[in-house]
Amino acid sequence: MRRLRAVLLRLAGLFQKERRDRELAEEIESHLQMHFEDRLRAGLSPGDARRDALLRLGGVEALKEAHRDRRGAPVVENLARDLGYAVRTLRRSPGFTAVAVLALALGIGANTTAFTALDAVALRPRPVQDPDRLARVYRSTPADACGPMSYPDYADYRDRSRVFSDLSMLAFGMAIASSDLSAESAPVAPRLAGTIGFRLPQLLEGSARPLGSAFVSGNYFRMLGAVPARGRLLRPEDDTIGAPPVAVMGGNFWQRQLGSDPAIVGSTLHLNGVPFTVVGVTPLDYIGTAQSVPELWIPISAKPRLGMTRAQLEDRRAMAGWVEGRLRPGASLADARAELDVLAARLRADDPQADGHSGVTVTSGRAYAPPFDAATWGVIATTMAAVALLLLIACANVACLLLARAAVRRKEIAVRLSLGATRARLIQQLLTESALIGLLAGALGLPLAWAMMRLLIVEVSSALPSYWGAIALQIDPDVRIFAYTLLVSLATGVVFGLAPAWQASPPDLNAALKDEGRALGRAPGRSRLRDVLIAAQIGACLVLLIGSALLLRGSQRALRAEPGFDTRHVVIIEVFDPARASRGPARWRGLKRELKEAVGAVPGVSGVAVASRPPIGGGQRWVAVAEAGAPAPPAGEGDPPAIGYSYVSPNYFETLGIGVVRGRTFIATDAEAALPVAIVSEATARRFWPGEDAVGKRLAIGRPGAGHFAGEEAPLCASCEVVGVVRDVHGLQLHKPDDAFLYLPLPETRPGSVTLLVRTEGDPASRLPSLGRAVRSVGPGLPAVAGVLDTMISFDPHFVVARMGGMLSSLIGVLGLLLACLGVYGMVAYCAARRTQEIGIRVALGARRTQVLGLVMREGMRPVLAGVATGVVASAAVGRVLSAMLFGLSSLDVVSFAGVSALLFAIALLATWLPARRAARVDPMVALRYE
Amino acid sequence: MGDKTDVWQGTLALMVLKTLETLGPLHGYGIARRIEQTSSNLLSVNYGTLYPALLKLEQEGYVASEWGVSENNRRAKFYHLTKAGRKQVEKEARQWEEASRIVARFLTPGEER
Repeated sequence: MRRLRAVLLRLAGLFQKERRDRELAEEIESHLQMHFEDRLRAGLSPGDARRDALLRLGGVEALKEAHRDRRGAPVVENLARDLGYAVRTLRRSPGFTAVAVLALALGIGANTTAFTALDAVALRPRPVQDPDRLARVYRSTPADACGPMSYPDYADYRDRSRVFSDLSMLAFGMAIASSDLSAESAPVAPRLAGTIGFRLPQLLEGSARPLGSAFVSGNYFRMLGAVPARGRLLRPEDDTIGAPPVAVMGGNFWQRQLGSDPAIVGSTLHLNGVPFTVVGVTPLDYIGTAQSVPELWIPISAKPRLGMTRAQLEDRRAMAGWVEGRLRPGASLADARAELDVLAARLRADDPQADGHSGVTVTSGRAYAPPFDAATWGVIATTMAAVALLLLIACANVACLLLARAAVRRKEIAVRLSLGATRARLIQQLLTESALIGLLAGALGLPLAWAMMRLLIVEVSSALPSYWGAIALQIDPDVRIFAYTLLVSLATGVVFGLAPAWQASPPDLNAALKDEGRALGRAPGRSRLRDVLIAAQIGACLVLLIGSALLLRGSQRALRAEPGFDTRHVVIIEVFDPARASRGPARWRGLKRELKEAVGAVPGVSGVAVASRPPIGGGQRWVAVAEAGAPAPPAGEGDPPAIGYSYVSPNYFETLGIGVVRGRTFIATDAEAALPVAIVSEATARRFWPGEDAVGKRLAIGRPGAGHFAGEEAPLCASCEVVGVVRDVHGLQLHKPDDAFLYLPLPETRPGSVTLLVRTEGDPASRLPSLGRAVRSVGPGLPAVAGVLDTMISFDPHFVVARMGGMLSSLIGVLGLLLACLGVYGMVAYCAARRTQEIGIRVALGARRTQVLGLVMREGMRPVLAGVATGVVASAAVGRVLSAMLFGLSSLDVVSFAGVSALLFAIALLATWLPARRAARVDPMVALRYE
Repeated sequence: MGDKTDVWQGTLALMVLKTLETLGPLHGYGIARRIEQTSSNLLSVNYGTLYPALLKLEQEGYVASEWGVSENNRRAKFYHLTKAGRKQVEKEARQWEEASRIVARFLTPGEER
């Protein structure tokens, strides 16, 4: 209590200084007088008495200082004074302050953003009850260790497993609402994503708007411990064949499209023409285990009502959906693996024809993204390293600036020391200044990080078609990460503020006061540390710039690469039929034909081909292929190689401009012919029949029991005649031609969506509105997406990563370059200014200007050269890491390495030349008189 | 003067408080003189430390001050004990006696047993 009282009084003592000072002076004066009079009485002469009194009292000023310290709170007072002083000093050099603060703020902002995004995607537990007990369960085959599972398999695991308290399934799909619910607001054009060069196909103008729906098992919400915002969520009894059809509405959709109408609970919603009762609404942004926020949640057993047949749902080969389970208390992932392995073995025994070695993979379901594999972590680590490099550059830059300033202030500091300031006080004051820079940067960095996050979210959301659902990642800047980066930058300020404070308060005051630093011959100041910092900055910069140059040149190469077919004049239109079950297969066949005719009749369209998937991008399918009649490989030896395939219409090759090398293309009767035929790519022909003519040879395609996608059949044909060989294309991956590819004739009866490849004259994008009208005229309720093949090329994930990475790291690299050049410029300018007198003497003694110029520049460029050398070596290492994303570009690409190094060198040269030239122009008379 | 002992840190406060208890309200100079006299001039009070010490006691609420007129008709700041100060004198005196008794036992062994 007494302590607190004292502290409060001391804080009060910060005020009314003058009155208190006056009182103290008066008290001392009366003390002296009384002492003086006492001495007089003791018989001293007035002079001696006064002298004695003064001597006994000691230093009056020291007494006052001690009294003042006791009266107020010196720590607070000093801090306030230091802060005031720091603010004034920083304001006096606004350029220095702006550069230092901006550099650090950028570093802090970029790091907070990047690490928050990583955290949100890969590390932070999902916002569900007890996420640590969630496990993802995948069907694993030799081709794909983490695949979706069939519904009957899932049901077996669910019913037999003892490790999981609940095992749930989630599948994505779409449904068409028959009311005007699905009316689409004006589509938002993707902005940044478009300029970067990748664009997903968007809904065609005038298309029906499908609702992104999550089909879930009845125990799904119970497993996640979800709570409804309105009504109730789905229950196990909703998920039985024959149960009354119900649906739960996503909170975001409810709010945006229905204005949060409370009457929605209990109302009827017609999906694909079938009435569903809306029983509840999820909270806003409720995402469950989905990748984005679904607009509707529907029991998975209702799928047969919405277009899929019951047989398709209960097909053990159909990959129906994603399985996740909640482990019982005490059960571990390893327990789950052990149990499911046994169950999988039993399932295989029951079904000997099941896909080769299909088993299960079990991973943690804690975070939003499934655990990454090593390659993905490699990409992430590279990105994070690039961002961390930016912070490093920023810190090195600020350190340089602080060092340079400290050297300038050597004399000032010496003066203050000689006037009695203690070393500790000086250091405290210098640290206040650097801490203030760090704090300002943090204050600027936080909103910066926030803005970057928003931009990221908005950009990603606008790049996704709306029926994919809303993005609801929790990615507000993470406080811990922000605190960490702020701490790093504060620490930089403190460490590099401390070093000069220590150096600048030398024991030898005399030398400092006489300004020995101006001595001739050697470069003044402790330049070693500064040189290392400059070199580090240049090196880090070069790594970033070379890395980004590699990525950008690589992605440029990918864009320029001829994929083997015409991309510039082809529009892809994909039309879905969510209600095909109720419509009947015959009607869908008719619709497809009508669609093709209507689109073909649009002016400017010169050809329409049909295929089961676009020639590039999504929807890839593989099938096991062997030479017909070849002996089956012994068990355990692995399956025959899986080869990508497409079903195509006869004019497919002509429409896309894929050259036919041998044989013929398909004809209209091929699909229904008694003798099945196929067309192979050149690489496939080479693989099976090297040096021989493939035409007339036979292939065994598919195996009975192979898994396939829900709602479609896998190709199966024991002996299929090859009728033609076509040129290789880059269909599966942009950066290399497909190893092998197989074309099958498209049967009219094939279920599923239809992909139209429309060859246009002139700008294909300008044809999109009229194409949309044509689609609507045939099927007003059919959702359709469209895109120009040329822009869709870049849908390749390698391309997106390379392009985004290249753009980002070049942005970061340019910022870093700017900072580093400021650093170089500042250092050379400062050193030259310090040597004004020396240069003056040299010039007076006959040195030529070029010699002076050379002298200054040599010293400035020395650390730059060291930095460039280090940077090139480090970049070579980085290039190796990036090589997977370079689309065949050498990871030691000469243009990138030489070009960027030369550019950086030239800029650094300029940054040294400017101040060096000024130094060389010094008038010797002025220089000699200087101070 | 040279062989006089400086007042140890920490004991000055007690001496000041005790002086004020004995003599009542007194100014700084008076307190210093009184301490010196009580110690038979063996102790030398550093006047420079006296005033901050008084300020500290005042902040802690053991003494209070007001301006008054000295015996020589001089304006001076007079310090007096507060209620808390009185208690503090007792407490500190007791502690001090105890401490010195303990130290004394160490210094004169054998006397007890």
